[in-house]
Amino acid sequence: MNRREFLQCAALISAGATVVPKGWTLSQDQSRYLAASPPYIEQAAPSFFSVSQRADVRAMADLIIPRTDTPGALDAGADRFIELMVSDWFNEAEQQHFMAGLAEIRDRSGGDFTARTSAQQLALLEALESESADANWYAPFSTMRVWDDSAPFICQLKELAVLGFTLSEVGATQFLRPNPMGSLNGSLPLGPDDPAYDKESMLRSFAGEASQ
Amino acid sequence: MNDTQFDAIVVGSGMSGGWAAKELTEKGLKVLVLDRGSMIRHGVDYVGEHAEAWKLPFYGMPDRERAASDYPIQSKSYAFSDATIQFFNNDRDNPYLRNEDKPFNWIRADVVGGRSLLWGRQVYRWSEQDFRANETDGHGIPWPVDYADLAPWYSHVERFIGVSGEAEGFDHLPDSEFLPPMDYYAVENTIKQRVKEKLPEVPITMGRVAILTQEHNGRAPCHYCGPCQRGCSTGSYFSSQSSTLPAAQATGNMTLLSDQLVERLVHDDTGRRITGVNAVNTQTGERTTYTAKLVFLCASTLASTQLMLNSRSELHPNGLSNRSGALGHYLMDHLAISHTGVLVDDVDTYYQGNRPNAMYIPRFRNVGGQDADADFVRGYGYQSPVLRPDWEFAFNRKGFGASYKDALLRPAPYWVWALRAFVECLPRADNRVFLDATKKDRFGMPLLATEFTWGDNERALVRDSAVQAEKILRAAGAVYSLIADGSKLDEGGDGVHEMGTARMGADPATSVLNGFNQAHEIDNLFVTDGSFMTSASCVNPSLTYMAFTARACDYAVKQLAEGNLTS
Repeated sequence: MNRREFLQCAALISAGATVVPKGWTLSQDQSRYLAASPPYIEQAAPSFFSVSQRADVRAMADLIIPRTDTPGALDAGADRFIELMVSDWFNEAEQQHFMAGLAEIRDRSGGDFTARTSAQQLALLEALESESADANWYAPFSTMRVWDDSAPFICQLKELAVLGFTLSEVGATQFLRPNPMGSLNGSLPLGPDDPAYDKESMLRSFAGEASQ
Repeated sequence: MNDTQFDAIVVGSGMSGGWAAKELTEKGLKVLVLDRGSMIRHGVDYVGEHAEAWKLPFYGMPDRERAASDYPIQSKSYAFSDATIQFFNNDRDNPYLRNEDKPFNWIRADVVGGRSLLWGRQVYRWSEQDFRANETDGHGIPWPVDYADLAPWYSHVERFIGVSGEAEGFDHLPDSEFLPPMDYYAVENTIKQRVKEKLPEVPITMGRVAILTQEHNGRAPCHYCGPCQRGCSTGSYFSSQSSTLPAAQATGNMTLLSDQLVERLVHDDTGRRITGVNAVNTQTGERTTYTAKLVFLCASTLASTQLMLNSRSELHPNGLSNRSGALGHYLMDHLAISHTGVLVDDVDTYYQGNRPNAMYIPRFRNVGGQDADADFVRGYGYQSPVLRPDWEFAFNRKGFGASYKDALLRPAPYWVWALRAFVECLPRADNRVFLDATKKDRFGMPLLATEFTWGDNERALVRDSAVQAEKILRAAGAVYSLIADGSKLDEGGDGVHEMGTARMGADPATSVLNGFNQAHEIDNLFVTDGSFMTSASCVNPSLTYMAFTARACDYAVKQLAEGNLTS
């Protein structure tokens, strides 16, 4: 195996393959694309939030998905993802909605969310959630859409934190697990502690125009 | 370059064009293939293949701004994403006219290989019942071809492309030449067993797909990464890029040019022979006329019809071979609608590998005759994927911290089974495409206008699909079901099975093409993409396009040898 073949196999194996298929023709260009492109959250430096807003979002992401025996939202860079999404993916109205939510949190925490104790921070998030209890966001199977722009701030924040965690490299490989490529086995035992596979594509992207 | 002589010109390099290129070159013809799309190299340019979510912009969340500005139509396709965008038509650069009251969504590729890179890969033979449907119930005109004519060509195509599936012996869904089927999930075996016991008239089989389950013609078996539409560098699913174009290339008889938008076909003084193919280079604007003895239109249903309409002349005042007036009419698609159930069986099982396929429930209504309780003709099949929900269904709950996080970790304690009915669409003259009188594209070609609505029969089939889905879900042991009421239907084109608009028939007074895909009024013009379809069946159409294409090539080359196409 020469160096190029090695790199090709490495790319495949890092993508979760157990068996390298015969006739594998991963090109240099393709493996370069796979291997060299940095994760999305490292492709640009977030610059949308103020320093204090960024600190608030970090604290909230950490409360939503803390580090336990597995990495948490901050280990996965979910806070960077949230800022990039608000900055680059949200439209103007969505940005205003989100930033108003951040401002409200700040107001209700007496001007500095991060200065509160964890218990106070959590109580505030829980209060926001209970005020939003009748939002459609909580309805079963309501997640089959691209984005719920009518959802309250707290719901959107949680959703961004989840996306930024589960779809990240850390979340996909150290919390969830890659679905091994190479072969198909239709039935395997699933243990009580076995994680779900990471995503090869998001179901919500199938929901765009789907009939109901 | 207008003095270059070819034996045949093939317009389009997708599902049909790839087959025309392969068959004609293998029969010794010098073939020029023209595609309006850009050149991509098999494997090398599948830059989205195996790209992890975390490397995609927005982690793969759809880029809504770009979709709205440049891809408002294409982004309706499930296959459209940042990992596949390089294959799709830019709607701003290459527009068509969509009637808001009668909307039709035209999903198009814009690369060499066309939609064979993006297709759903499901392949089902038509049956004698399908070919007889029009003459039996009087909708549309009779097919000039029957199953026996096409069966050997189905085999010919299947042996080359590789089709995995289960031999079932159904009369109304003939078996293909199969490679081994893909594996069932445990819960699918449970479903299959229960439905077999309680609803024996509703068969379930593994989806028949042009995806290899073992090595075949030098292509590797599927490695189950999942999203085929990103391209497959192992060529494990059939595309013209992986299979037919390389076969044509290997003969040494193919010249393949990308970025060539064919604007117009020019005929001789008799009007019975195409003498020139006028194309514009989409990158440079340079115009070239190509000549050949034979022309195969495989540009895709609507594009081929647009070209025939735009080639109107004194002798063909309504478009080529259109004395019947049928050109542009009888547009069809498949209407899909999903009914969903939840099962709590076999939740202690999982699977390995992303199976790019699902179970299939073949048509079971009006089979072999009209069902007494059916207020509709024809039928539908269900594409029926089972999926194991995960955090994507579970994050919208209350809570924070370790317990909230924990709920994201494991697969949900249930399975979701979707019965996605694919409803046969009747051919109706009102569903049509035509050239706009004034609006033109950036090259001056008149824009294609579309008008499409669903008919009463399609609505009745949708209603019945709901009633039957409820029964099937109950028989399968679903603990909860969500049955679509049909109040919101997909739009025309959403099935991406657009067919018709240059239909074939025995009678030149009512059809554009004869039973060999040859234009009634132009001897050396063959049209073998979905535009020739005279009815739609309820099964996925690509296999049938490929079989008709191979058959038409065989006929055309024999006619050429006998001197019948040279006028």
